[in-house]
This record gives sequence, structure tokens and C-alpha cells, in this order.
Amino acid sequence: MKRWVLLGIGLAVVLALPWFVYPPVASDIVAFALLAIALDLLIGFTGLLSFGHAAFWGTAAYATGLVAIHAGVPFPVAVLAGAVAAAALAVPIGYLSVKRSGIYFAMVTLAFAQMVYFIANQWRGVTGGENGLQGVPRELFGVDLSDPFYFYYAALPLVLVGLFAAWRIVRSPFGRVLVAIRDNPQRARALGYPVQRYKLLAFVLSATLAGLAGGLHAVGHGFASLQDVHWTTSGKAVLMVVLGGIGTLWGPGLGAALVVQLEDYLATAGFVGIDMVVGAVFVVVVLLFRRGVWGTVALWSARLGARRRASRAASAAGAGPSPSPQQRDADRESVDATRKGD
Amino acid sequence: MRKAAAITTAAALLLAACGQGGPSGGGGKISGDKIVLAVLNDQSGVYSDLSGKNSVEAVKMAVEDFKAQYGDKAVTKNIEVVTADHQNKPEIANSKAQELFDRQGADTILDVPTSSAALAVATVASQKKKLYLNIGAATTDLTGKACNKYTFHYAYDTYMLAKSTGTTVTSQGGKNWYIVYPDYAFGQDMQKNFTTAIEGAGGKVVAKDPTPFPNDNFSTFLLKAPNMNPKPDVLGTMQAGGDLVNLVKQYNEFGLKGKGIKLSVGLMFITDIHALGPDAFAGTTFTDAWYWNLDERSRAWADKFQQRTKIRPSFAHAGNYSAAMQYLQAVQRAGSDDADEVVKKLENYSFDDVFARNAKIRAEDHRVVHDVYLAEVKPKSEVTTDWDYEKILRTVPADEAFRPVADSAAAGCKMG
Amino acid sequence: MASFLQQFFNGLVGGAFLALLALGLSVIFGMLGVVNFAHGAFYMLGAFGAYVLLTDAGVSFWVALIVVPVALGLFGMLLERLLIHRLTALDPLYNFLLTFGLTLVLQDLVRRQYGITSQPYPQPAGLDKPVDLGLFEYPGYQVFVLVVAAAVCAGVWLLITRTRVGMVVRAATERPELTRAMGINVGLWVTPVFGFGVALAGLAGVLAAPMRAINPLMGADLIITVFAVVVIGGLGSIVGSVLAGFGIGVASALCNLYLPGLSQTLVFVLMAAVLLWRPAGLLGREEVPA
Repeated sequence: MKRWVLLGIGLAVVLALPWFVYPPVASDIVAFALLAIALDLLIGFTGLLSFGHAAFWGTAAYATGLVAIHAGVPFPVAVLAGAVAAAALAVPIGYLSVKRSGIYFAMVTLAFAQMVYFIANQWRGVTGGENGLQGVPRELFGVDLSDPFYFYYAALPLVLVGLFAAWRIVRSPFGRVLVAIRDNPQRARALGYPVQRYKLLAFVLSATLAGLAGGLHAVGHGFASLQDVHWTTSGKAVLMVVLGGIGTLWGPGLGAALVVQLEDYLATAGFVGIDMVVGAVFVVVVLLFRRGVWGTVALWSARLGARRRASRAASAAGAGPSPSPQQRDADRESVDATRKGD
Repeated sequence: MRKAAAITTAAALLLAACGQGGPSGGGGKISGDKIVLAVLNDQSGVYSDLSGKNSVEAVKMAVEDFKAQYGDKAVTKNIEVVTADHQNKPEIANSKAQELFDRQGADTILDVPTSSAALAVATVASQKKKLYLNIGAATTDLTGKACNKYTFHYAYDTYMLAKSTGTTVTSQGGKNWYIVYPDYAFGQDMQKNFTTAIEGAGGKVVAKDPTPFPNDNFSTFLLKAPNMNPKPDVLGTMQAGGDLVNLVKQYNEFGLKGKGIKLSVGLMFITDIHALGPDAFAGTTFTDAWYWNLDERSRAWADKFQQRTKIRPSFAHAGNYSAAMQYLQAVQRAGSDDADEVVKKLENYSFDDVFARNAKIRAEDHRVVHDVYLAEVKPKSEVTTDWDYEKILRTVPADEAFRPVADSAAAGCKMG
Repeated sequence: MASFLQQFFNGLVGGAFLALLALGLSVIFGMLGVVNFAHGAFYMLGAFGAYVLLTDAGVSFWVALIVVPVALGLFGMLLERLLIHRLTALDPLYNFLLTFGLTLVLQDLVRRQYGITSQPYPQPAGLDKPVDLGLFEYPGYQVFVLVVAAAVCAGVWLLITRTRVGMVVRAATERPELTRAMGINVGLWVTPVFGFGVALAGLAGVLAAPMRAINPLMGADLIITVFAVVVIGGLGSIVGSVLAGFGIGVASALCNLYLPGLSQTLVFVLMAAVLLWRPAGLLGREEVPA
């Protein structure tokens, strides 16, 4: 019950966002939210820390831009083309990367993303190199989307499709196998699951959604640039996941909102130390708030719920029996609502 | 307790953005009684020293000088300077430019280094129909395929740098060149323009090698140079910033100057020379769009700038001052800050101020042309006052230095 | 021929920095299981340390060569005790993220203090003349760097394989439980080893100061190449990391000579090849496939 309420609130916030937040920034928030959630599929649910997701976000941005500029199709088609491009790139990179796990995987994905960056830089004829791919149009059957407010709503359906896809993946049997692989790969293999293939599939799905987000970002801004494939963008995505809550799926969306807002605020605040703030946030969150904002709130409310149940049981039966083993297990399960942590 | 604090902070941050939403209502609203100058540049990254916050100071100086010049006859005394840091990220530049025009009522945006950011802002300016004077970026696309009615390219570009240095150094005896350039758009553009200029002046490019970017090891290229046939008289390097410093250090290590290979730099700022000290760069030639110790007028302005900022100005700082001043002058002439009126007053305008000498704002591509200076870095022994690192070898007149109008059209400029 | 040898030697010098950094990274990983993203930042701090000592205290390069790595080693030990230690029981990913955050903070702190433009640092006297190596001449300082780096790598290898200290560290790395059962306090070694790894990065920084641009970002792009180097060499292997470091240096230099456009992607292409052929790295220990 509570889950549906929360989802409903989330949907309402997403629908109303451009009324509260400067529309170009709102578009950025939802695009990065989708990226962060896509990344969480890999980090939180499969246990693979990809430090190179900018490769897919950025490749899709360029692909979307090129299709939009040269094919004159409605922008959702261009964005989908971008997502396909990201998926295509993810197959070889994923195949090579999942041969390693854990920290090796992180370093390998980082290195591959660097390769994509250098290629994008070199392939100036296609990407525009340092100048970026400028002039990406927002075509939608002739509707005037030049006002970012209206563009947000035009782009929103695609974002919601992406979010829905992520949600379905997590809730499916496939998603549960991923969690099993995350927790104990040997046991999963012993049970007969082709672990490498599952990991690769998760990688490609995550990359596709990241590409969807990247394509929307490119159309929203009207250009794709080297910043989109730079490793600092990968790092930003990881920060959003960690800040929001690894493995909570929606937490990273909140993390995205916070990071985008922070960056936007610092740009006009005149405070010259953005990297320092971001770095400090990273350090503090990793040390003290490993569950992230969402995870911490979930834990807090679960503990509150358990305490309330315990006090209710205690007051109902005097100093009577403690909660049943089943009840205690249920409490522990809700406490373990977010897995990655201590 | 800590968790509650985290949630509250998150909520506070989200709320802080409240009240900024809603549709923007189309193109520019004209602020009748107030002029807002917006400086959008890099205030924490690689361009923060040569431009950055001190350029905001320069713009403020322009506002003060403008008010002092016209007193009560100024078109308005209500002139505000706002600023934002785009962190060299084009998406932030894009969002901030829109926000500056929409939310802060900016009438013009100034500076914007980093080509991708500069080009993104050009699109925004064209959409919002508000002015944009770029000082910080080098890409000729701003007066080429990205040119538009509201965008002006003020201080320098890759063509001007290459033409001035390439032609002058070649005609002064540096016939054979070895060009080393970072393998990205800026470097590639500079290499092409340099090659054209050198060959146009009767010189020869013996070899041209792309280097990785960024890169800290240029030994491969520096080792090749003395063994080439014919041996190059000049090593032309298009590296900038930290890469340039790496190259110069290693150039000195390999003793190339002693082997008769002089150094010519595509793009350099006085802050680079100050960073390594003049001896590291002694004898190096490059084109400076402006030098603080050019003459009395520039010195006087540089003194005032130094009082406020403690450093001597680079050409970017002076360029921002000049652009702000010329914008305000144009507004004064137009009697309003309506963008179209101001554009009309800027086009074809000839002027001569502390930064731009013998200058003209071309109507065909909105390129501001002015005299530029081929400089040579003095060795420490010849530096008599602080920051006086440059010896001006030649003043290259505006018409010679900048890309001809016909070429801008050929590059795709359609001024609409 | 001389030209080729010159470039080869050139590559060795460039590779020396990669090797030193890869060595420190490997040592830290071997002992703690921590991949120190901040390794590039410590390299940068090493260079700045030398610069600050020279400009503020007139301390010469030679003294800085000893003092700065030691100071950074101590600083590293402090960081390990205060921050990194708390996370070693968890997935190493957390320490990776922690060190990533530390990198951003350290870089920005240095930038706020010294700006983004590079700082000057003169070559040490006596080494600023070219050295005749028979077939060709080469800048003296770079020869010095190569000699020192090779000596340090060899020295560390000897330390690890031939001394009792090294034996203890290796045992603690490969079989911590068994080592503990033998009565050796494994935990005591973690912090000094981390400090040692950081000191190696700092040493590389001091060596870089006279010949590379000293600015807050000097380690940032280098670190990713170093990651690729250790993946190629094998993350747990000291010898592998050093050989891969020198090897990549040579490969890059030769690539710059013959195929300049490719040199930046080269190390990543090689990494992909290694992953296909030998996923554990050239000399790495075979990882249990997961």
C-alpha cells in the first residue's frame, strides 16, 4: 500500500516539476534521474559498479543528434535511435567488461569510456570534436517546442517509459536472478544460471536506458558535446546513485535531483569550489550515509514502524511476550530494505 | 538525528529552486529602465586565471567609466552586472544563458570561453534575440556557420592567431616550420590556418604532427625535430595551458633553441608566461591580441585594473572591458537597449579604444577586427618592471590579421 | 636506428612514471584490496610539495626527493587510519568511491590555493645538461629519472621478495588468516603499507616537478591510464604492473612516432586485448570467475 502511495507522489512531483523548477533544469533533472536509475540497475541490483556510463549516455547523445539533424524525424524517434546506438555499443564493451567483477569491472568500464571519449574527440567530422554537435532540432510534427516548459512535457512520456522499464526489470524474475547473482554468484551458477549472460544482459539494458536519457538530454539542450562522454559525467552518475541510495531504484532519481540542483545553484552562487563540494559529499555519503538519502529514510521509517509495533505489543500484553519470530523476521526484512551497506 | 538533517537539507535544496518554474513566454522581454550585463565564463577551471572573476571586475570598470563619461546624460544609470560560472560545461552554459536572459533580464552576455559553450550560447542568443559578445572562445565557427544577428565575436580567433604569427615569423626569416598540434578541434584548426599562412608567406611546413590531448610527454616530437630534413627554423606549437607548459619545459630540456630551432606559440596568455617565468619562454614568438604595456593608454588602464585585482590584465580581461564599454556606447547611441536597435548601432561601427585599436565591427559576419601584435618574450634580464614580459615585434593591422569577409561567407555564415 | 633507439629510450622515461604509479597502486591493492583513485592526486601533491618547499623554504630538489615522499607517506597513513580503514571490511567499491571523492577535494583545495595555471620549477643543477649515451644525446634529468625509477622498482621488488618484512606483507596479503594464526599481527601492516604506496606516488610527483607542468589537474588524466596499465599487468602483481608501465610507455612513444592519431587510445585497445586473451592480466593471479 505504502509503495503505491510513494510512487503516486513521485509521479505527481515529476508531472509538476517545471512549475517549481526552472524548466531547462527540470529537463536535466529527469534526464539524469533516468541515467542514475539505469545505473542503479547495474550497481544496486547486479552488483557491478560501472564507472563508464557516460560512454552510453554520450554515444546516444551524438547518435540522437545526428539522426535528428540529418533525418528530420520526430525527436522521439531520434532519441530511440540513440538508445539503440547505446545498446549496440554496450554489447562489445559489456562482453569484455563482465569478464571481470568488482573493482576490476569499475576500472575496466572507466577505461573503455575513456576510449569512447578519445574516439569522439578524434572523429571530428561526425561529432564536431571540441565544438560539439550543435544545432540539434526538436521536431515533433510541427509543434513549437522552443519553450523549454513545453519541451519538458513532450519529452516526459519517453522518460516515463524508461522509468517503467527499469521498474519492470527489477520486479521480474530476471531482476531477481540479478539480485541472486549480486549476492552470491557461485550459488547462482551452481543453480544453473548462466551468470555471464545475465550480467551482459543487465549491462546492455542499463546502457540502453542510459542512452535513452542521453538522447533526451541532447535534444533538450540542442547539442551533444564531449562533456557527455567525459569521465566526470560517469562520476556524476555514480554520485547520484550513491547519494540517492544504491539498490533503491528510485533513490538515485532523488540523488539526480539533488546533484543537478546543487550544480545549478553553485554556478550562480559565486562559490568557487564545486569539485570540493561534490567530493566532500561523496566522502561523507560513503562514510556515513551508505544507504543514501532514500535508503536512510526507508531504514528510519522501518525502524520507527518496528518500534511502534514492539511498543504496541508490549503495552497490549503488559510486559508480555516479545514480537513473534515471524514479526521479527518481517521487521528485519524491512530493515534490510536496502541491501548494499554494512 | 543525522538522517533527519539529511532529509531536511535535501528538501531545502529542492525548495530553494522553487518559484522559478512556469513557461517563459517566448522571446525577449525588454527591460526599459535597466541594463543588465551578464558575464558567463569559467571561474574555477582552466580559464579561471586568464579570464574568470577578474573579467567580471573589468566589466564593472567599464560600467563605472561609462557612467562617469556620460553622467546625467547616460541613457540610464541603472546598470547591473551579473555573472555565472559555466565550469566549461556547454550544458551548464546553455541553461545559464537561458536563465540569465529569461530570469535575470540580461541584455547581453559576455565572454564565454570553451568553443562548445560559446556555440551553444550563440544559439540561445539567436533564439532569445538578445545580444552576445564572445571574447573568450577561439572558434571561427562563431563568424562562420554559427553566425547570427545577435552574436559578435570580439577579441580573437584561430585564423587571426595563425595569420599574424605564421606570416610575420616566416617573413622575418623562419622559413621552415615543424608544427606540433593537439589533436582536437582547436589544434586542428590552428594547424590548418598556420599552414596556409606560412605557405602564403613563402615558407614551408616540413612536418606536422598531431599530439595526444591532454599530454605531458612531448619528447617524441621534440627529439624528431633536429633530425628533420630540412631542419626546421621554427617549432610551431598549438598547445595551450598545461600542455604548453609541458612542451616548453621539455623544449628547453632538449636544448632545441641551442640547435637553432626557435619556438612559436599559437595561443598564449601573459598569465602563462608569468606562471613559468620569462626565462622559460625567452625568445618565443606569439600573437597577443593586446598587451598592457603597449602605450600610455593601455598602461593607465592596466594600472587601474591591477589596483582592483592585484594582477596585470590579459587580453581577455581587457577584451571584456572593451566589449562592455562598446555595448554601452551602442546603447547610448541607440537610445534604448532594444537588441535590434543596438545591433544596428554596432554594425559597421569603427572605433579605437584601450583594447581594440583601429577597430571595426563588420556587419557581414559580426567579426570585430582590430590591430594585433606579434610579440616576443623577453629574457628575465630584460624585464624591468613586473609582468613586462613582451617585446612587440610588429603591429599587424586589422585588415591583414583577420579572416576576409568572403571567407566567412564561404565558411557558411548567413547573416539573417 | 639511432632515432628509433632514442624514441625507445624516450618511451622508457615516460613509462617510468607509469611504472612508479602502477607499482604504488598495486602495492596498496595487494595489501588492502583498495583501489586508490586518489593515487593521481598524491602524485600531484608530490609535485606541489617539491614546489612549495622550494619557493617557501628554499629547500632543494634533492632534499625534497626524500622529504616529500616521507611526508606524503605519513599523510597517507593518517588518511588510512581516519577514513579508509572504516570501509575496508566492506565491498572495495566503497573505498574506490571514497578515494574518488578525496581526489576531487584534494584537487580543488590545491586549486583554491595555487590557481589552475602551472607553477615553475627549475631543473636541479648538474642535471640540466644533455648526457651522451653513445648513440645519441639525451637530457640529463630524464636519464636521472629513468635510473631512479628503475632503482626504486627493483628495490621494492627486492624488499617484497627477499626481506622478512616483504615476506610478512606478502603472507598477510595472500593468506591473512593463516598469517594471523602464525602469530603475526596482520592489521598492524595495513596502514604502513598504504603509506608506502602513497609515498611512491609522491616520489613520482617530485620526479615529475622539473619536467612536467605542475598544476592541480596533473594527476587526473594520468590516473585512468595507470588503471589500464595495472589491468594489463595484473592488479595483484608487482612485477606485472612495473613491466606493463614501462611497456606502455615505450608503446606510446613509438605509436607517437609512427601512428600519432592512435596513441591516446592505444593503452585502452591493449587493455581490451589483454581482457580477451588473459583476463587476469599478463602476470596477474587468476581470479575465481564470478
